Amino acid sequence: MNRLRLSTGGLIDRSRPLSFTFDGRKMQGFAGDTLASALLANGQRLVGRSFKYHRPRGILTAGAAEPNALVTIGRDGRTEPNTRATVQELYDGLVARSQNRWPSLDFDIGAVNGMLSPFLGAGFYYKTFMWPADFWEKVYEPVIRKAAGLGRATREADPDGYEKCWAHCDLLIIGAGPAGLAAALTAGRAGLRVILADEGALPGGSLLSETATIGDRPAPQLAADIAAELHSLPNVRVLVRTTVFGWYDGNVFGAVERVQKHVAELRAGAPVERLWRIAATQAILATGSEERPIVFGGNDIPGVMTAGAMRTYLNRHAVAPGKSVAVFTTNDSGYRLAADLEAAGVGVAAIIDSRREGSPVGGGSARVIKGGLVRDAKGGKALAGVTIAVDGSNETLDVDALAMSGGFSPVIHLACHRGGRPIWSDAHGAFLAPQDTEGLTLAGSAAGVGSLSACLADGAGHAARLAGLLGRAAQPAVFGPVAGEGTGDAGKPLWSVPGIRGKAFVDFQNDVGLKDLKLAVREGYGHVELAKRYTTNGMATDQGKLSNINAIGLLAEARGVSPAEVGTTTFRPFYTPVSFGALTGASHGKHFQPVRKSPLHDWAAKHGATFVETGLWYRSAWFPRAGEKTWRESVDREVRNVRLNAGLCDVSMLGKIEIHGRDAAEFLNRVYANAFLKLPLGRARYGLMLREDGMIYDDGTTSRLGEGHFFMTTTTAYAAGVMNHLEFCAQALWPDLDVRLASVTDQWAQMAIAGPKARTILQAIVDEDISGEAFPFLAAREVSLFGGALRGRLFRISFSGELAYEIAVPAGFGESVADALMEAGEAHGICAYGIEALGVLRIEKGHVTHNEINGTVVPADLGFGKMVSPTKADFIGKAMVHREGLTAPDRLRLVGVKPLDPAATFRTGAHILAKGTEATLENDQGYVSSSAFSPHVGSTIGLALVRNGPERHGEEIVVWNGLMGETTPAVLCDPVFVDPANEKLHA
Amino acid sequence: MPEIQIPAFRVASRAALGSKTALRSAGISIAALPEGHVIHVLGEAGGPDLAPLLREVTGGRPHAVRTAGPAQWFLVGDEALSAAGVAAILAALPPGAAGVDQSHGRVRIRIEGPMVERVLAKGTAADLAPAAFPVGHSTTTLTGHIAAHLTRVAEDAFELMVLRTFAESLWDDLATMSGEYVLQAADRA
Amino acid sequence: MASLIPCPHCGRRPKEEFTIRGAALERPGPDAGQAAWMDYVYLRDNPRGAYREYWHHTSGCRRWLVVSRNTATHDVTGAEDAAAGKGGKA
Repeated sequence: MNRLRLSTGGLIDRSRPLSFTFDGRKMQGFAGDTLASALLANGQRLVGRSFKYHRPRGILTAGAAEPNALVTIGRDGRTEPNTRATVQELYDGLVARSQNRWPSLDFDIGAVNGMLSPFLGAGFYYKTFMWPADFWEKVYEPVIRKAAGLGRATREADPDGYEKCWAHCDLLIIGAGPAGLAAALTAGRAGLRVILADEGALPGGSLLSETATIGDRPAPQLAADIAAELHSLPNVRVLVRTTVFGWYDGNVFGAVERVQKHVAELRAGAPVERLWRIAATQAILATGSEERPIVFGGNDIPGVMTAGAMRTYLNRHAVAPGKSVAVFTTNDSGYRLAADLEAAGVGVAAIIDSRREGSPVGGGSARVIKGGLVRDAKGGKALAGVTIAVDGSNETLDVDALAMSGGFSPVIHLACHRGGRPIWSDAHGAFLAPQDTEGLTLAGSAAGVGSLSACLADGAGHAARLAGLLGRAAQPAVFGPVAGEGTGDAGKPLWSVPGIRGKAFVDFQNDVGLKDLKLAVREGYGHVELAKRYTTNGMATDQGKLSNINAIGLLAEARGVSPAEVGTTTFRPFYTPVSFGALTGASHGKHFQPVRKSPLHDWAAKHGATFVETGLWYRSAWFPRAGEKTWRESVDREVRNVRLNAGLCDVSMLGKIEIHGRDAAEFLNRVYANAFLKLPLGRARYGLMLREDGMIYDDGTTSRLGEGHFFMTTTTAYAAGVMNHLEFCAQALWPDLDVRLASVTDQWAQMAIAGPKARTILQAIVDEDISGEAFPFLAAREVSLFGGALRGRLFRISFSGELAYEIAVPAGFGESVADALMEAGEAHGICAYGIEALGVLRIEKGHVTHNEINGTVVPADLGFGKMVSPTKADFIGKAMVHREGLTAPDRLRLVGVKPLDPAATFRTGAHILAKGTEATLENDQGYVSSSAFSPHVGSTIGLALVRNGPERHGEEIVVWNGLMGETTPAVLCDPVFVDPANEKLHA
Repeated sequence: MPEIQIPAFRVASRAALGSKTALRSAGISIAALPEGHVIHVLGEAGGPDLAPLLREVTGGRPHAVRTAGPAQWFLVGDEALSAAGVAAILAALPPGAAGVDQSHGRVRIRIEGPMVERVLAKGTAADLAPAAFPVGHSTTTLTGHIAAHLTRVAEDAFELMVLRTFAESLWDDLATMSGEYVLQAADRA
Repeated sequence: MASLIPCPHCGRRPKEEFTIRGAALERPGPDAGQAAWMDYVYLRDNPRGAYREYWHHTSGCRRWLVVSRNTATHDVTGAEDAAAGKGGKA
């Protein structure tokens, strides 16, 4: 392997080597490595190129905040750009590619931008691409778009599965570091339902990189022991590889679990990612703190990383950072790293401590430069040395690795997701969480607590207190004395170093430097929100996790105020990026939305139906037969056959509602515009339902099956809406009425049998006499079928204008009954017909649907004015239906329309113009609401809503379609094209 | 008199989930239940709890009476009833209760196994822990995109009752939700 | 993302199970006059703070509720059956 990999120590499994490639180069790591630690162990420091200047970049952190080490993982549909190498676990066969470089990472043409940097500073885009105005769309934007972005998304479909799920708990603990583990153990032992979530592969957080001992146990051992106990508790669920990304209303937390992003072979049936919605009574935010980079020249050169990251790679992954290391620190934590490096046999050139006072212990034998500042780091693709300013003079150290620690920022993002603003603390030199976070408690270093022992105690203490709140007695878990821990002293923030020569970066990912922020202040953009947008600081995919605090500090310095006065930008979900796959879950492909299948679906399929999606339903549109070349041939045949013989159509998807109760009739009287109180038993009535504004809402028939028992049908489209509406009327408007509603849409298979032979055919299966006398138009009764084998409901209603019935039978029997009717009807020429033919038949008869009932029409517009009861005390829409404007004579009203030349056609949506007038808005007379070819008339016919329509029958007009460029001379006519005397209907 | 001969029709009911094969594994099993009977009982709003009286109607069979929101219940059984059988139940309902036959409008699916709470949590936001959702408890909730009536019939077994026309879609969703346990078991076999 | 509504009949459920109708207004009497009806049908307050709305537990118990919530903080302060507040029976 490599000289950088230590021969002992760490949490890697040296018996499980893993192969992977980076930019095609084959490399090896071990189980327990991240991609970043494996790259470092292989001596690969250069990992990517920066966004704007294409600077060589390496690995800056060991966690979720990584701004530099972004790579593309995977192939084909599994390609995942901008993956942070610092959190990606290594697996066998992993394929990683660097980004934002061409032709190669080592030799990148885009690096020329670095030389142009004087011209590419803050506000560059705003200043440069302003003119000429035309150039933005044609030249600038395409060029910028090509250069922008880091990784490239694949255009191939993602073959993997994702899912969403819910979880409920008494206590959610976010972060399984010292505070989180102590809290989980305390709450778990007390019997609370606990969920402990951590973004890492192992519970432990900073314990996994720690060399201190707790009660004589090494820190990683303590983490493993606590995890083992938690796993043994049935009331505790530990979610690893799970990032809690947002805090939402009702104390619901969003989290994403990377179920299989770390494996070579996917487990069949299991998702790769799972989106959790966790409803928690209480939550503890134990997300720790983020170490700050320091702003000095060349602070982005590969080989410079945060001290905590270097410590993680050294202690957890057994990777030496280099041969000679310098540590630049503003606080005590750098000393802990120096001691660990020395213990591992790595040379420490110096600890450069920005503080003059104090004498921290535990730094080992390394030279300490008090009051020293790293002014500039040198090197290109790898660090070659650092220049240190101390007491006015400079000193150069030849080192190949530099650790920096600018203090710590508590990770408080989630605590601010519901609108709270962070609060600056001079004592901590950091922003702390807002005060009022009801339901969410901060613990450990996320709350500004310093040392390891204090964090353990803080987590346990908070959990015990919350358990008490939730009615459980709990003892804070204790773990014994901690030996060898740091002081947790935060030090004083160091926002910048004087005398910098090279480029000093604040936002590494967006290439925002110290100079850019200073420029923003000079040009009047010093407000934190303005500076963010002017410089793009904090606007990259890392959302400024490392950079925002330094930017705020620098803005404060430049403006001569406290960071408290500068304030922060707004923290919003998601904490780290969440894949679209996880947000989509299983809702794609055939799971995008449910499919509703009629009980007669298979019957229609075996008759060769062509199905069409209408809402969630699959409806049979037409039934093509051998020799029919176009859909029109099939539909025309079906229409002719219904008028000549008979047809059977599946109408099961009509909404069906049972209405029971003493006041059911009164209730219907109030929800329909027409009268229902005196509907006789065994009769159906067409009903018009209005909205409160007077417009028609829906129509359908309602039958009285008993004194307090009605059966309502609604249109297919409004079935769910009408049910909700009726429930609103029953529950919210008139709860004093005894009315009970049940949706029975799914209980019944319903068939329309229409045509002159309908009665003959139907009589073959109905036991009772259904002659015209015994079963007249609008009769509605329960009937016996097949000699008593089955009972159904028979309605004599017609949508086609023919002699017609609708018969409903329990859904499971639907296919059997349809088969029987087709068999009985064979000798009489019955055919199956679909909703296209149904549409033609109803247009021929002048019956309206939601094409006409489109939210703009009142009953009078459709010729239903007389149906609106003038005598009822109240009904929905009564107060508004007669208001001014809705009764005007020149409203658009229903009329028929047909072309003068039978060979000519027009389309639905076309407008009506008076003959010889121009197509202007002022001249618009209305529009065609429905149209079809009518085999009965022998031409296209239409229903239209036209000004003064009913008074204009016989007037020649023009049907104008501006979209299609069609103009059709036509004539307005009676909307009833078939059997205006209703002789067929009443046959 | 009918003008044509009545053919000897075989009137048979077609099961909504007849094309679906039960899924069985150590972690989770899913099976369509017989299309027996479901009577939807509508009490008067604010009226008395009819459940005790309804249990008499169903002869005390376990889980035969299920709450379905305020003043509403389902009477459920595996036995398919004739029209006369349904009429007999409707006639036996307590005074003031209306009954609606939903035997064909609802389809029942049994889902059981040690992973049942985990699988259902992929669909519903209802808290399924036994303390919050004990055996015998019922509620209507969204399972993914589809509303279904959910009853816990044993410690690790639930019944989902769904509108017939949604049954196939719900089945397909449940199969996907169970995939990690079902397919995993098949891999091992 | 996921507001939970405390349905008085079903317990806490996510908003996806509900249909929101809007302000819980009193329906005027049939003879209340055009002005009252125009207000009821078309005019809505848009308060910052407490608001009472009709929510329907469409995918649950199918009861209409009056949900009290705060438009500024998103806190849901209560939910009662719509019939209960009208002297009716829930």
